[in-house]
Amino acid sequence: MSVTEQGLLEREKDSMTLNMGPQHPSTHGVFRVVLEMDGEVVDATEPHIGFLHTGIEKTAEAKRYVHVIPMTDRLDYLSPPSNNLAFCLTTEKLLQTEIPERANYLRVIMCELARMASHLVWLATHALDIGAMTVFLYCWREREMILDLNEEISGVRMMTSYIRLGGVAKDATPGWLRGVRKFIDYLPAKIDEYERLLTNNPIWIDRTQGIGVMSREDAINWSMSGPVLRASGANFDLRKQRPYSGYENFDFEVPLGKNGDIYDRYLVRVAELRESCKIVEQALKNLPTGPYKVEDSKISLPNRNTLKSSMEALIHHFKLVSEGVSVPKGETYVPVEGPRGEVGFYIISDGSNVPSRVKLRAPSFMAIPGMCAMMEGCFIADVVGIIGSIDIVMGEVDR
Amino acid sequence: MTSEEIIEKVKSDQGEDIQSAEVNLGDAVIFVAPAALHKVAGYLKMDADLNFDYLSHITGADYLNEDRDPRFEVVYEFHSIDKNHSIRMRVGLEEEDPTIPTVSDLWRGALYPERELFDMFGFKIMGHPNLSRLIMPDEWGGHPLLKDYPLTTEDIAFSHNRDFKQDLVKTKPPTR
Repeated sequence: MSVTEQGLLEREKDSMTLNMGPQHPSTHGVFRVVLEMDGEVVDATEPHIGFLHTGIEKTAEAKRYVHVIPMTDRLDYLSPPSNNLAFCLTTEKLLQTEIPERANYLRVIMCELARMASHLVWLATHALDIGAMTVFLYCWREREMILDLNEEISGVRMMTSYIRLGGVAKDATPGWLRGVRKFIDYLPAKIDEYERLLTNNPIWIDRTQGIGVMSREDAINWSMSGPVLRASGANFDLRKQRPYSGYENFDFEVPLGKNGDIYDRYLVRVAELRESCKIVEQALKNLPTGPYKVEDSKISLPNRNTLKSSMEALIHHFKLVSEGVSVPKGETYVPVEGPRGEVGFYIISDGSNVPSRVKLRAPSFMAIPGMCAMMEGCFIADVVGIIGSIDIVMGEVDR
Repeated sequence: MTSEEIIEKVKSDQGEDIQSAEVNLGDAVIFVAPAALHKVAGYLKMDADLNFDYLSHITGADYLNEDRDPRFEVVYEFHSIDKNHSIRMRVGLEEEDPTIPTVSDLWRGALYPERELFDMFGFKIMGHPNLSRLIMPDEWGGHPLLKDYPLTTEDIAFSHNRDFKQDLVKTKPPTR
């Protein structure tokens, strides 16, 4: 822009700059994007992130491995167990520890419950963005039940920190397992209900079909992952491609889309809700008995009862609480399939009890430039739908 | 392809540009010099058998405390969607000149991680279309993920205790 002789502002282009966010309800956090508008069509976008930067990666360099786990909850705050799992698997790979079967099954149950909770929040807010108020209330109702289950097993409703080094925090009680069973039997009928409200709804179809299209090649090139990548037709699910925590023992489908538009992303995520139910059902059926964490007292705390009789257990307990786990020198990366896509930690250990570098590979962070590319050329009314369909969580974007 | 086969193939095709290669905890890892980075990256993407079409992430690392030469490192993690194998490429960077070419022309997903490298470590990414701060504010000083970035500093609130407060403005090693 320049100032004319009359003192009036003169635009170089016949376009309008529109600021969206950071305080905008449909940006799902504090995401700011400056839109260059040509009439009603978005010409160019300029995303701004960093409003929720908490320096977790830097803080982790001064914390013991065990202390980093609660911080990972705050990254992707809609599905904390996936972050816990990614961090624990990476550290356990450096420690070269084998995890007991029962712990693996409990981890899978927690992660799939978190995936369901996260997809329910996504469906609720995404539908609300586009104007479907009822779905919002219904999804919140079902998510509440998952939070109750979280509270029962870990004592916390959202930031569970349930998955720990060498296993899980507490063993599952028969009562909790019955609660999960009840929820898994209850949810599929409710998913049908959401689908009845949306899948064939003409308004929903008008607002989603053919909008925000991303081809398979583009989605791969932009490093999209998770449901967004699968909706574009790329068969990439880390639970199948690089199985971890015993996912190879479960029988489930990877839902794929064809067109890569908002509607396909909706269908993929709703199908994933059903697949998650299947996985939890199998996990409950085949849940093995045995220890829920490794017996190695150098990694997980010894049994409380042995402290009174065993000197060795007392020493281990003291050392583990005061000093923590020492991880052998090295670096590694383990990705897991979170609700938003590939979540992974790249950890560098210098051989001490504090990590030298902790890097989070966050699916939302990697998806932002691709998302903005998607917005260009679409109507302003669809910007909100596109942001919703990517399902960004600013906690893991800004870290 | 297994990690061993990937290493074998990369070494035979790009022998002179690969400083060393190893299988680390089951993952294929290659070490490349900054000058050869773009050529090797292009080869990894374009080769029909390797076909690393998906960039998983780019990470920086500062090995100041380990007294290593070179001090910095940039780590690339690539995956092939169709072939389902992955490789890690590690590039050592000298402290005097931490410059690497961009790979965003090959994987557009590299645009943000590379800006983050500049923001957090101060690495210069040659050929990046928009190399500016990403997460920290534009006027921020320093690069927070460097190991010699001060952890505990306090602004001087009042001029009369400037001398007193100076003691606080020191780098402290992280508590262990």
